[in-house]
Amino acid sequence: MLWDLGSVLMFMVTSLVIIGITLLIAKLFRRDNPTEEKLTSYECGEDPVGNPWVQFNIRFYVVALIFLIFEVEIVFLYPWATVFKEMGFFTFVEMMIFVGILLVGYAYVWVKGDLNWVLPKPKYTADFDYSNVPRFKKPDAEKARKLQAVE
Amino acid sequence: MDNISSLNYFIPELMLTLTILVLIVYDLFLKKEESNYTAYVAAAGLVFTLVTLLSSYSNVETSLFLGMIAHDPFSFFFKFLFVLTAFFTVVISSTSLEMKGKFHGEFNTFVLLITLGMFLLASAMNLLLVYIAFELVSVTSYIVSGYLKDSKRGSEAALKYVIYGGVSSGIMLYGFSLLYGLTGTLDISEIGRILSQNNSGDLTVLVSFLMILAGFGYKIASVPFHFWAPDVYEGSPTAFTAFLSVGPKAAGFALLIRFLNTAFVSQDNVNMASWGALEQLAWPEIMMWISAITMTLGNLVALKQDNVKRLLAYSSIAHAGYVLMGIVVLTQDGLFAMMFYLSAYYLMNLGAFFVVLNVADRFGSEEIDGYNGLVYKAPFLAVCMGIFMFSLAGIPPTVGFIGKFYLFAALIKGGSAYYPLAIIGALNSVVSLYYYARVLRAMFVRGEAVDSEMPIIKTPVAVIGMLAFPVLLLGLYWAPLSDFAHASLKLLIIH
Repeated sequence: MLWDLGSVLMFMVTSLVIIGITLLIAKLFRRDNPTEEKLTSYECGEDPVGNPWVQFNIRFYVVALIFLIFEVEIVFLYPWATVFKEMGFFTFVEMMIFVGILLVGYAYVWVKGDLNWVLPKPKYTADFDYSNVPRFKKPDAEKARKLQAVE
Repeated sequence: MDNISSLNYFIPELMLTLTILVLIVYDLFLKKEESNYTAYVAAAGLVFTLVTLLSSYSNVETSLFLGMIAHDPFSFFFKFLFVLTAFFTVVISSTSLEMKGKFHGEFNTFVLLITLGMFLLASAMNLLLVYIAFELVSVTSYIVSGYLKDSKRGSEAALKYVIYGGVSSGIMLYGFSLLYGLTGTLDISEIGRILSQNNSGDLTVLVSFLMILAGFGYKIASVPFHFWAPDVYEGSPTAFTAFLSVGPKAAGFALLIRFLNTAFVSQDNVNMASWGALEQLAWPEIMMWISAITMTLGNLVALKQDNVKRLLAYSSIAHAGYVLMGIVVLTQDGLFAMMFYLSAYYLMNLGAFFVVLNVADRFGSEEIDGYNGLVYKAPFLAVCMGIFMFSLAGIPPTVGFIGKFYLFAALIKGGSAYYPLAIIGALNSVVSLYYYARVLRAMFVRGEAVDSEMPIIKTPVAVIGMLAFPVLLLGLYWAPLSDFAHASLKLLIIH
């Protein structure tokens, strides 16, 4: 029984060997002429500035997620468009339902303000009234100023 | 049945989807403080869903959407439970102080989304759909368990839930892929047919079974995939904990029963009083061990808990172990006992968590000590909690006792091979009595008489009463429930 799995083992070994061989061939034949530009990390043609381990605005993620959803919607529209002529009205209704569901999501992010890049003034400032929020201690003015600068 | 004519049988799910969309839009027009109005829409939508569900009932098993979904009495039974669970959760969460002014619109939407996922989970016939429904339930649960954003325990719960859930669903998916590699199909009944015909690949079948069990065991919180349960139950908003402890758990059991009874079954004697396991795979023995260890561990750890939510979390792990006893005997009696016990468990566990919610709202404590003298402060709540505790411990005249009786009867009838498991189960019931009695002692024996009663919020108390009454009533006259469970023992089988 275990012998049946032997082919799987051979497959794994072969794949490892092939990877090794290709890397070796490339190593033997390629030119090795590193320059400073080649060795810097690629940032869309810009000179990299500083360490990539910085905090950046979390809204990038939100926008990216929303973008992704509508991108996928477009991908679904293409095959639909090619068969639309044969299938007729029924597919039209079907796609309208699909788009309608996504539109509800769009309305949701819009109303909830996730599409506004410039948010209203953050609450976390020195003059914010913390007496209503028992869990937080009032931050010192220095820290609040720093946080505002980050925003 | 093809896609378009299937839609006629799919109206409850469509109704649920429509309600979800309406909820999202309606919530946008409300101010933050008014967001608990969405509970009315959600509750109305669930009532409509229930009505359409009842009217779509048919005694015949059909397969919908080209074999993707089963429409049979078995799935109807579970869908019925899910709608009621969601309804009670939506109602009680709208009055919960814990969640006051905290995005009720989203909460209700998520609860309904999970319900939709559970609907699909209970009726999925295709591994792909199983996975999608599984993730729909899981991912939404992750969000809701971290719902109290400013609570440290809530964030911890959500993070632990995501990590455990991600790992176990990944392992399950790998098991699915092995099964697909063995059989070349994703259709569960087709997999069952192919597996029972050729006897090669014993080891691979075993490995894939164990991997799939990681996913299913995580949903029903059985050992060794139970680690998330106590923390998640403790950290989530209590209304959701109540929902989580019965809804997705029952959905996991529905999936487990359907999967084992369709894919890992020997085809010779399907549809008779007993059903056989796959010849080359000893999964009943594995399930027997899991059942015994799950109930023992759940009960022993529950002994040391002082937080009632945590105590109930471990007790719900133990109950998963009890319910698993029904599947190892491979008889229709066992399946019937499982379904009966799950509906009994649904009533008593939901009720117990709702009492915890209400006590925490009014007296500000989830610890057992906070229950001292509850009978003087809130007599009705204390009596209801007493009923739920008696039922969970399996003491007559409650529905929990009848459920346990059916489970043990099925085991004893199954033959002497199952006596050890029955003995372990009986010993566990005795152990569990201790910690349920601790809560009872705090409520009825300790504490002193207080003159003034606290103000009562009517809705949650009414809901708790609505759950406590059937626990007693079905304990005395359980024929309706057992008839319902018997009639629902029809699973779709495609030959």
